[in-house]
Amino acid sequence: MINRKRFLTVVLALLVFLAVVPSFAQDVTEVKVWIAFTDARLDWARERAAEFNEMFPQYNVTIEGYDNYEVLFSATNLAFEQGTNPAIVQYFEAATQDARDANFNGVPHFKSIAEAFGDRTEINGLPVDLTNFVEPVANYYTLDGSFTSMPWNTSSAIMFSNQAIFDAAGIEIPTTWEEVEAACAVIMALESAPANCITWPNHGWFFEQSLAQQGADFVNNGNGREARATETLIASEAAVAYVSWWKNLQDMGYYVYTGVQRDWGGTYNAFIAQDVAMLVYSSSDTTALTNDGADAGFTVTASFMPYNQETGYVGNLIGGASLWLANGLSTEVEDGALTFMLFLTNAQNDASWHQFTGYIPVTNAGLELLQAEGWYDESPNSLVASEQLANSEQTSATAGAIVGAFPQIRNFVTDAIEKVLVNGADVTEALTEAQTLANEALTEYNLLNAE
Amino acid sequence: MISTDTINLISTLIPAIIGAIYLAILFIQLNHSPILGAVIGAGAGAFGAMFFMVPLSYCTFEPTRKPIDVYFGVFLITIGTLASLGIARSASLFFFSGQPRSLIANQSSTGTFKGWLMPWLLLAPTLVILALFLYYPAIDTFRLSTLLARLGTSKTIFICVDNFTRLLQPENITIQTVLFVIIALQLLISSRSTFKDNDSTWAQIFRYSLIVTSTFFFFFVVLALLLTDSYYRVVITTFALSVAIVVFSLTMALGIATMAYQPIKGGNIYRTLLIWPYAISPPVAGIIFFIIFNNTGGIANNIIQLLGGEGFDWKDTTLAPLTIILASVWKALGFSILFYIAGLQNVPKDLLEAASIDGANAWQRFMRITIPMLSPITFFLIITNISYAFFDIFGTIDFLTGGSGGTSTMIYEIYNLGIRNNDLGKASAQSLVLFVLVIGITYLQFRTTGRRVSYGA
Repeated sequence: MINRKRFLTVVLALLVFLAVVPSFAQDVTEVKVWIAFTDARLDWARERAAEFNEMFPQYNVTIEGYDNYEVLFSATNLAFEQGTNPAIVQYFEAATQDARDANFNGVPHFKSIAEAFGDRTEINGLPVDLTNFVEPVANYYTLDGSFTSMPWNTSSAIMFSNQAIFDAAGIEIPTTWEEVEAACAVIMALESAPANCITWPNHGWFFEQSLAQQGADFVNNGNGREARATETLIASEAAVAYVSWWKNLQDMGYYVYTGVQRDWGGTYNAFIAQDVAMLVYSSSDTTALTNDGADAGFTVTASFMPYNQETGYVGNLIGGASLWLANGLSTEVEDGALTFMLFLTNAQNDASWHQFTGYIPVTNAGLELLQAEGWYDESPNSLVASEQLANSEQTSATAGAIVGAFPQIRNFVTDAIEKVLVNGADVTEALTEAQTLANEALTEYNLLNAE
Repeated sequence: MISTDTINLISTLIPAIIGAIYLAILFIQLNHSPILGAVIGAGAGAFGAMFFMVPLSYCTFEPTRKPIDVYFGVFLITIGTLASLGIARSASLFFFSGQPRSLIANQSSTGTFKGWLMPWLLLAPTLVILALFLYYPAIDTFRLSTLLARLGTSKTIFICVDNFTRLLQPENITIQTVLFVIIALQLLISSRSTFKDNDSTWAQIFRYSLIVTSTFFFFFVVLALLLTDSYYRVVITTFALSVAIVVFSLTMALGIATMAYQPIKGGNIYRTLLIWPYAISPPVAGIIFFIIFNNTGGIANNIIQLLGGEGFDWKDTTLAPLTIILASVWKALGFSILFYIAGLQNVPKDLLEAASIDGANAWQRFMRITIPMLSPITFFLIITNISYAFFDIFGTIDFLTGGSGGTSTMIYEIYNLGIRNNDLGKASAQSLVLFVLVIGITYLQFRTTGRRVSYGA
């Protein structure tokens, strides 16, 4: 008898508990964020989310990390089909057009943040000021006159040099292609010469950077910014010049190809192991490269990415990723997502993110805070990417290409370059073939996505 | 000009007539009514012809289509008809040959279900899962393969068989190449009769290797003619890597298992350590071997340089595939060793002792008793290793070479197309090609090696 009574009491207590708990829980708005980091950068983001949740107890921001952008893209598409999509998704810059076009039965996955902000000047006490973003960043993510996605991790391609080798050679760090060759001639003649002079990953991004430097668009229709791009310009004069110079560097024994496309790890290790004197790389790893170089016993000096002296310097473009706001969220969730975006890009977090990684500060406020703190005096390498972008002319070429199937087009470019570097294919032929394939992929993409 | 409808009708009628004649003859041989056979045959032939064409709504024969599409349509009709008639033939033999049927278990035998409900009920969970997660996606692959479809948009465009025909390049076919095919075919046929009646071991080995070589030769000549150069290269790489992986991993596994099977001190620890790499996932195997075989800062080159050598370019077209083979064999070895050790324990001791008394030396005992007794396991391992080499090594490839240096295989291409490039239509088409190839290989396996397998007793 007693047992039964006790049992009933427990059941009753449980029922009351279950009835009450959700009513508490309903007060907290869940904001799901999916990003493509699984390393320390995910931890950094989660720490910020925890701070945010403490500041704004009405929200519960949870961050989930995915292995890479491709996996994240697949997962996001499925989630939208099933109606279990997150509020914020991170996409890399090359997937900008793909993200804009992504839809399920005609309903777009994402909406522009400018539209979501409307004419509000603050949300939950955080100021809304889209003019605060540094120019190259704002230019990249402003599409058809509207700020589309929230900039977050942003970098540029810069060069890292082994100062010890340059001191031994008694030469300055080169700024042009010609100077790179001259510097390599001196370095490779050293008694303590490294195995090779220079390397960088065979990644489509460096190809795009070089086109921008020479003022050449990557796709037609004003680099895809005036109207939807319909053709790629992969085999342009600027492209042939860049890949020919690259091949020439390899032929002279200066450039070393690690043999794997998109090989960030192999090239990084070659530089830290002092197998090469120069590394063209993403500024996103400035902090790590500088520290690892110091640990390996040499000073790392960052400088602008070398350019073609024949065409002169026009400018570099950004890389990295931005945060996309899901379409069709309830007002509470959307405001929560927007608040978190504003929080993540406030001056303090912008600066902390930069110091932690090497991604450039995306806001002027962040940049000013870092300058005021004297950060750049301590670590001059960290300023190089920001300065390079500030030095860039703002043209369609340096704003960056907006084109569908961009990740696929990049693969055609790196395949062509590999054919040149490994199989000795003719530069113009290889690039023309890549252009044909890329145009075909783009046509198919546009058939499915253009109105 | 013949209308499209007429072409469609003819494309169904011809297979139906062929089927009718074929089964009518079969029924006469079985002493049954040829008319019944003709009716069944006509139905089967028409069904086979329509099997692919109705879902495709006969798009390959539309007037605007390229000749290659028409050929592909004829090819699909032929395949469908052959498969359908094959099934009709087996079914006819089963039902009309007059011999007692043995497919349905005898009611009185123990261990069988009395009704039909219970077994289906017990099978249901498995069947539901298979249907949802295997059969439905597999069938959907057929649908996707005829579409221009990309991840990110639900809009699709029907493009008939373009995803398949873009892999084909019939311009290669000329008079000379046709002659080449005939020579290859001739070689294949004559190899089968060479030394057919010679019983000596060496003659049989010679004959067998001749058959294998000429089969491969014929196969590759045909593929080289049909496929585009880039896809041909991928197919060749796939076969070369798979054959190398299977051969090396099985011979090494047998050798190691034979040694590890010996009763030695601490043998259990030793055996466990040998099987260990099997527990590692293919991408991790790729990463481990990348750290070793890497041009900049790799362990292998570092050691070679310490010894005064130059170091190798591990990413060139000769060495890159070898590193893939090495990594894959290393990773798969444990699985085969495990099965061989288990198999060796089941080789009857009395047989070996008897042979020993008869004066057979260790090598003879191994070749004449152990290997034949292990043949069921070898057969099983060949099948599992082939499917590993075809389907599972893309993780290793991705981390070790990223497909560079001629190491891109069919499954890796599919992964790149479907996952990296979001191109679902083309990826589906290529995965169907791979699917058909693997089914074909497995079928050949069962037809050839499968018959030689001794299951003891």
